[in-house]
Amino acid sequence: MTFVVTDNCIRCKYMDCVEVCPVDCFYEGDNMLVINPDECIDCGVCEPECPAEAIFPDSEPGLEAWVKLNAQYAAVWPNISIKRDEPDDAKAFDGVANKLEQYFSAEPGQGD
Amino acid sequence: MTTMAAKIDHVSEDGIRRLVDAFYARVRQDAELAPIFARAIPGDWGPHLDKMYAFWSSVMLTTGRYKGNPLAKHFALPGMQPALFERWLALFDETANELFDDDISAEFRAKAVRIAESLKLGLFYRPDRPWPPEAVR
Repeated sequence: MTFVVTDNCIRCKYMDCVEVCPVDCFYEGDNMLVINPDECIDCGVCEPECPAEAIFPDSEPGLEAWVKLNAQYAAVWPNISIKRDEPDDAKAFDGVANKLEQYFSAEPGQGD
Repeated sequence: MTTMAAKIDHVSEDGIRRLVDAFYARVRQDAELAPIFARAIPGDWGPHLDKMYAFWSSVMLTTGRYKGNPLAKHFALPGMQPALFERWLALFDETANELFDDDISAEFRAKAVRIAESLKLGLFYRPDRPWPPEAVR
């Protein structure tokens, strides 16, 4: 069992989650974060910390594609455990629908 | 006649210390768990207890005090069995219930159950074998 980062993280990337994660299982893409499902211990500490409410337990229905995306990019993006400032336009993108199709970037982020 | 101390109704660093101390005192007396822990921690328990204060502080108070890889630590332990997690949870729950009121001990239990399940999956789950492993033993 694991938690997964979903659509609303894209272009919001607040990064509050990375500070509280006890096992440093967040990985940074250019415009979103993902959780490595093999490292997440399912403690759930990150879920309420996300200002964009983008983190869910994988037990919630309909998240299969996100579980896959998290696993896929956690393997190639750099680890992040230290929060930086969110993008200037993060607030404007909070709540925008279907960000995966419109804005997702497969490029890695800078990491710690 | 003894008076029952009032149960703790909130989570604090102090409460976490009391829970961790009381829990591991029990673990060290437990026929199933004591040998595993004695092998893993042959000397001073101080560093382990400090790590556990930090872990539970991170989990219950979101302080970010613990940073580590508990799955790797458990992987390195010889003699691990899924049933040991059930014993661990039973002792942990018993200890939490004695110290904290029902709501708070339920919060500790909920976290412990999730984390234990996740560690068990990480340690024992194989795609080609039935899950849970207890069912086939």
